[in-house]
Amino acid sequence: MPNLTAVSKEPRRSAPPAAPPVPPKRPRRKIQQEFRTVVSPHQLNSRRGRAVYWTVLAVVVVSFTAAFVFPLYWMVTGAMKSTEELVQIPPTFLPPEFSLDAYAEAWELMDLGLLLGNTALYAGGAWLFTLAIDVTAAYALSKLRPVLGKLVLALMLATLMIPPMVIMLPAYLTVKELPLLGWDLLNTPWAIWLPAAANGFNIFLLKRFFDSIPRELLEAAEIDGAAPARILWSIVIPISRPILGVVSILTVVNVWRDFVWPLLVLTDSEKMSVSIGIASLSSQMPQNVLIASLVIASIPTIAVFFLFQRHIMAGLTAGSLKG
Amino acid sequence: MTRSGYRRTAGLLLATALGLTASACGSGEKPAQDNARPTAEGSAAGPVSITVNCMPPKTNKAQRATFQEDLDAFQKLNPNIKVEKATDAFPCYEPRTFEAKLAGGQLETVFYVNFPNVGRLMESGQAADITPYVGELKTFKDYNASIEIFKKDGKIYGLPTDGYGMGLVYNREVFTKAGLDPNNPPRTWADVQAAAKKIAALGPGYVGFGEYSGNNVGGWHFTASLYGRGGDVISPDGEKAAFNTPEGKAVLENLKQMRWTDNSMGSKLYIDWPALMKAMAGGKMGMMIGAPDVLIGLRNDFQAKFENYTVTSLPEAKALFNGGAGYMINPKATPEQIRAGLKWIEYEFLTPGKGQLDYVRAKGANLTVGQPYPDLYGADTPSGQEVLKLRTENANVDPGQFALWVEGSKGIPAKAEPGPYAQEIYAILDTPMSAVLTRQDADIDKLLADAEAKVNTLLEQKG
Amino acid sequence: MTTTGMRAARGSRGRPPTKRRRAVRRNVTAYGFLCGALICFAFFSWYPMVWEVVLSFQRTNFVDPPVWVGLENFVTVLQDAAFGPAWKNTVMFTVLALVFGYGVPFVVALVLNELRHARAYLRFVVYLPVMLPPAVGVLLFQWFYEPEYGLFNQVLGFFGLPGLDWLNSTDTALVSLVIVSTWMNLGTGTLIYLAALQTIPGELYEAAELDGAGLFKRIWHVTIPQTKLILLVMLLLQIVATMQVFIEPFLLTGGGPENSTVSVVYLMYQYAFNFGNINGGNALGVMLMIVLMVFSAIYLRVSREDKS
Repeated sequence: MPNLTAVSKEPRRSAPPAAPPVPPKRPRRKIQQEFRTVVSPHQLNSRRGRAVYWTVLAVVVVSFTAAFVFPLYWMVTGAMKSTEELVQIPPTFLPPEFSLDAYAEAWELMDLGLLLGNTALYAGGAWLFTLAIDVTAAYALSKLRPVLGKLVLALMLATLMIPPMVIMLPAYLTVKELPLLGWDLLNTPWAIWLPAAANGFNIFLLKRFFDSIPRELLEAAEIDGAAPARILWSIVIPISRPILGVVSILTVVNVWRDFVWPLLVLTDSEKMSVSIGIASLSSQMPQNVLIASLVIASIPTIAVFFLFQRHIMAGLTAGSLKG
Repeated sequence: MTRSGYRRTAGLLLATALGLTASACGSGEKPAQDNARPTAEGSAAGPVSITVNCMPPKTNKAQRATFQEDLDAFQKLNPNIKVEKATDAFPCYEPRTFEAKLAGGQLETVFYVNFPNVGRLMESGQAADITPYVGELKTFKDYNASIEIFKKDGKIYGLPTDGYGMGLVYNREVFTKAGLDPNNPPRTWADVQAAAKKIAALGPGYVGFGEYSGNNVGGWHFTASLYGRGGDVISPDGEKAAFNTPEGKAVLENLKQMRWTDNSMGSKLYIDWPALMKAMAGGKMGMMIGAPDVLIGLRNDFQAKFENYTVTSLPEAKALFNGGAGYMINPKATPEQIRAGLKWIEYEFLTPGKGQLDYVRAKGANLTVGQPYPDLYGADTPSGQEVLKLRTENANVDPGQFALWVEGSKGIPAKAEPGPYAQEIYAILDTPMSAVLTRQDADIDKLLADAEAKVNTLLEQKG
Repeated sequence: MTTTGMRAARGSRGRPPTKRRRAVRRNVTAYGFLCGALICFAFFSWYPMVWEVVLSFQRTNFVDPPVWVGLENFVTVLQDAAFGPAWKNTVMFTVLALVFGYGVPFVVALVLNELRHARAYLRFVVYLPVMLPPAVGVLLFQWFYEPEYGLFNQVLGFFGLPGLDWLNSTDTALVSLVIVSTWMNLGTGTLIYLAALQTIPGELYEAAELDGAGLFKRIWHVTIPQTKLILLVMLLLQIVATMQVFIEPFLLTGGGPENSTVSVVYLMYQYAFNFGNINGGNALGVMLMIVLMVFSAIYLRVSREDKS
């Protein structure tokens, strides 16, 4: 699917790991903002201002590192310690030797390769379905405006008001036996893929973006005789790359992070996602093996974050600034 | 635009739309076929398909291998029965998914259930009546009293496959370190308290006595202690709470003293079954209430140093809480499936010399033989004697690890779960348990009175 | 949106001969495009929603046909000893999560916005925990909270402070859960506020400064009014999200000690899966749904105002 490759190409092109996420599109405005914030530049550049600035900077860097990086450091090194060492008081700051044994053991005991593979399959499929289903739907609602379109949109957005937790059980029963069709989707990837596509928030984001595409652009193509599908394919999708990136990442990350839903619909230990697999086996594992498995389970999402930082942050802003 | 042009365009559009969404609209068919349907197939003439659960998890390699062996052998022996699927979720009874699986028809034909949930499943009609079929089981007549747990109104809804009375599990190594005699464990609660104090004095991280306080296991162990002291949780007619008594108070008082006066219980709460097991396996905990199966669980599932652990009888016990588990049959199973399912239970769990009672194989497979359970048959029945003989001949564990429990538990009557609402009652009793373990100023009389009122409300409403 | 709509309508009126046919065709195409989404929503959102309400008025064991029981399930959960604590804890959790998770990110964003160095690093690390699967974050904190050898008490001990009981005391358990939740979610709020702060035109600050407004006055009179809507939206979003708290008590405390961390969703789960009373769980779910819908409705209203 060309639209998908288009989406994934973009971040790859501009993906320096952990690069400063400055949107390159509007550098001028950015500098201007940097120029003037709540603290006045005169104050800042006074002798006292500079002292305060450097102090605050140091405090913030140190405390952020302590609060957000140190726990992760503790986790990564904790998995290199023996179980005896883990309960030692006071604890050792560095593991006595660099050992990946616990990681290897976690990988083998919990069958993490399988679990990660499953999760990748669920996330990947959910991504394809979400894009195919939500993009077409949002386009129809935004540009084709069918009869009752507003009602459909309202019903879709209304699902945002219902917490997924609350309808968990009936949703489960539905997945077990689809009404009218009688298909049983439990323990199949479909149980993750299709509900992932029923996402009112994605529809909302996409529709809002499509709304902002100038009508004239599409009308020109229409006059040339292009069908709506063709317009969607060759005009709308190429210019919607930013929002497609946002939706893609939100979808993949959500599937990867989800807990309660896969807990219910993927009961086979061979079909479990990595979060569920670890949580259900956590009770029996030696502490260091458990910690190692936590590290392994977080690597994919952190890697996604490294690579797609800019899109993720754009998604956040898109999601909330205008509601 | 011409009519045909329109049609062509519309067709194209539809095709495109379908191309984009057809995968979503119309391709759920395939997965439906992969799923095992425990309820549907199986006619009298043809082969019967069943599903089973409680396959040992991958972390328990030895038992998993023997289980697989048994599955193959069983199907060879019964060529018309096909075990379509064996589920290996751990723990075998998973409350998170049980109800959902039953609702979704995903529940296995033969499913594992631990004693606290048996009453509830019978009460709510979620297990098949197997009364007409049990006559076909060879060893059924030899069952001891544990079968009573699966009976309701004269009907039988399941078969116990594992049963044991509660005792006191302790760590010999920790005892020795603390200067206690591991061959002479505590016999009274005062002894327990004194021993716990000595163990906790070994230093930080040492816990003299570990106890549950949440997720319904707190109430479950309260019940075990209470039964031991001669008390009861609900009245014999099942309509009133009966634990607000001197016995109930004694249970909490004892815990409170150990926790706060002696500071011998550590400050960590053990909120669920694995948490305490893991702590016990960690080698710094002295004692806990538990049945002989705890030792095997510690060895097989929690990688503990097995030889360090011993189980003795519950101190001052007047009655023993009957722990254990068994199997029930999916209420939606066909008669053929019920028959096949019972055959599997019989083969795997109830035939001396086969399945879990194949002690020759277990010995060779680095599994423990010699622990005094499962205790399923009356001592003087043929099955009971055969099991005992096989077990003694092939024993590979030190019988000393269980001898004190066997000796001390003799003649003490067994007592079952407090009725079909056991789990709700345990949830209520978690509160006093966690209260005495977390608050120094916990008012035991008030806690018991509150819990009593709550249980009474519950029973009245259900009544 | 309205203007383009009107323009489109006028456009089609301009070509009367094909108008009707075009409209039909447009609708067919549109519903062709919508089919996937309609099916997914119908099966996995709309239908379960209705069913949830139906189940709350029934009794079913999923073996026999369901029986209508009126309000019985609601009465059952109302009489439950844990019903009061569950709502109280949920509200407390929400309030505490607001104290930590709402104000703090705003202050953090204000400070970050002033910094000219290490911005990329700081933004990256503050969002790092959000990217961990929640199960990982929660299990990690379970280990940190260990009373004897856990990281937190070791750190407190390092500074000569006495250790805390964290999850093991009625006084601290709920707060401990809030801390986990805040740690895992702080990054979202911070980055959103940061983005909002960057849209404030610098001239406003300059003008305020010329008027003689000091630093805090500038924050009060410029920053906050300029970000008022986003602040309000975030407030409502956070209320709705935190009222559904489940995974923290589920994995960390089991609702204890003494019901001090039972949340409404956790109690729902207890009913459905431990007590075998799915309908009781549904009744609780319907109650929660009503409460959350009130907040969600306010949210939608606010965000609509925001758009216009």
